[in-house]
Amino acid sequence: MKKVKIRAKNLDVFYGDKQALFNVNLELNEKEVTALIGPSGCGKSTFIRCINRMNDVIDICKIEGSIEMDGFDINDKSIDVVELREKVGMVFQKPNPFPKSIYDNISYGPKIHGKGETKDELDEIVENSLKKAALWNEVKDRLNEPGTSLSGGQQQRLCIARAISVNPEVILMDEPCSALDPIATAKIEELIDELKTTYTIVIVTHSMAQAVRVSQKTGFFHLGKLIEVGKTEKIFKNPDNKMTQDYITGRFG
Amino acid sequence: MNKSERLKQRHRAEKRFKFYGIASVTIAIIFVLILIQNIFSKGSSAFQKTVIKVDVFYDSELIELNNGATLKEIYDTDFYDLTIENLLKTYPSKNTDEEDELLKLFSSEAEYEIKNAFLNNNQLIDKTITLEITASDDIDQLHKGNYPRDLPEDRRSITDNQLFIYDYFVENEIINKNFNNYFFTNGDSRDPELAGIGGALVGSFYSIIICLLIAFPIAVLASIYLEEFAPKNKITDFIEININNLAAVPSIVYGLLALQVLLATLHLPRSTPLVAGITLALMTLPRIIIPCRASLKAVPPSIREGALAVGASKFQSVFHHVVPLALPGTLSGTIIGLAQALGETAPLILIGMVAFVVDIPSTPIDPSASLPVQVYLWSESAERGFVEKTSATIMILLSFLIMMNFIAVYLRQKFEKRWN
Repeated sequence: MKKVKIRAKNLDVFYGDKQALFNVNLELNEKEVTALIGPSGCGKSTFIRCINRMNDVIDICKIEGSIEMDGFDINDKSIDVVELREKVGMVFQKPNPFPKSIYDNISYGPKIHGKGETKDELDEIVENSLKKAALWNEVKDRLNEPGTSLSGGQQQRLCIARAISVNPEVILMDEPCSALDPIATAKIEELIDELKTTYTIVIVTHSMAQAVRVSQKTGFFHLGKLIEVGKTEKIFKNPDNKMTQDYITGRFG
Repeated sequence: MNKSERLKQRHRAEKRFKFYGIASVTIAIIFVLILIQNIFSKGSSAFQKTVIKVDVFYDSELIELNNGATLKEIYDTDFYDLTIENLLKTYPSKNTDEEDELLKLFSSEAEYEIKNAFLNNNQLIDKTITLEITASDDIDQLHKGNYPRDLPEDRRSITDNQLFIYDYFVENEIINKNFNNYFFTNGDSRDPELAGIGGALVGSFYSIIICLLIAFPIAVLASIYLEEFAPKNKITDFIEININNLAAVPSIVYGLLALQVLLATLHLPRSTPLVAGITLALMTLPRIIIPCRASLKAVPPSIREGALAVGASKFQSVFHHVVPLALPGTLSGTIIGLAQALGETAPLILIGMVAFVVDIPSTPIDPSASLPVQVYLWSESAERGFVEKTSATIMILLSFLIMMNFIAVYLRQKFEKRWN
């Protein structure tokens, strides 16, 4: 049995008067990929944005219940959100590299956290991050070109490298392949498979096939409620809940 | 109605719309062309001045100077008699009345010009050089063809005799047109041939710099705070509405405000670029804040999220990523705001910049003119020479505005980065 990295307890999230998540209880295991599936607007993205407190920037967002990481409540006043996000990286649906050079895209995170004091150390971090993101061979000769000049798939791997660069413990991925073609998607999936040996990964996806391919655990959300969660194999082969069954077989959603 | 008829109708509607569009653009262009043509045809002659060639003999009997005289000695010497003597030589007058009429053809600056030539070369005693002496306003306008010489004598300021002398000058080819340096170096003057925009240029320059120094930092910081940090609540909404309202307040209201607060209460020096700059800054602030906020808003949220997700603080995400991306838009908004301020007349009239100022201001707290107010002042003057000066000043003002707008567009296109 793997160690639990993140535990959400009785989590309720409100956007103004609208409740987006209802009493979600979910455990994410360390060094494992957890896939979150469900129809659009079911609260998957809201859930993972709670893990690195990305919802903080939305004034009207209110969170009740708790999320613990390694046993500490991340919403506790003693936790600095900057430190939390250093530990919990995020990759977004649409690749969003900074309009700067490839090198600057990767070195930005380490710089603001005071890692890589010298140029050599920074160079090393950039190289390692790009290697881990399987992008090094493609860009090593043009690190000074703008990150936005890369193809969509490369941009997304650049964003993954950017997330890795600050050496996080958890990586959140919000539909990372939805804007990519099948070949780029395959590359990212391969990458996720490798990354899970080092990081705890949560991936939101609309593709059942992708969830099956990359994840060990799957959670099914519907209308803000976590309907069912379990081993990926079990969820897709023999779900307990009728709704899950209907969703994965494409009968609604 | 069947399908093909409906299709035809749709095409017709499209063609109609296209026609209306082209027609309105054409009308707009025609108006602009008329405006420009009008200003150019009236103003371009102001860049030339009429000069009369005079052989000046520096007679040692009329000025008590030796070759190699010091600057101070030359300054202290009266060149009046020498000037009269030399100017009279240009035409064989028959009596003193005619001599008076002849002398009126020259600008009052003639004495200074003759003295100035000696200042440049103090070895001229008892020697002759040919100088080009500025002609009076009437002769200037006559030579440029702007003077109605066909009117009966009692209805024009030039006498028949003077016309005769002028024709004599033309025949002997001693009257000429030169580049009008006075227009750029002189301040205002009662004599149109000597009036220039030097003072107005410097005054406008100081005002705009002061306006920039005050308005730019305040506007940028205010927009960053409002756009990125301020909580979205009623107070912020209220401020936003007020900024939009202030941008639409007639500029003369700012002039009244400045008159009461800056001049009456704080006793800042009247008619100065300092007060003008502060007034224009007040007026320009909301007009800069609005485009600044728009350019900050145009930075996609994904950039902010990307920065926050690697652990940047709010402050870092704003100043490392959002502000640099918004900078081209911010700068071009500022320049366009300043261009508006440069052309603003009403508030400056209220703070006393309509005063008749001959000197070119050396500091921002000297009384000064400004370009748009100079246009206003000259447009009210009766002398014929000021008509071309007015149009020429408008040309200068317009060229500055066009230049500033061009810079704004250039900055935006050059430095605007694409983010996806």
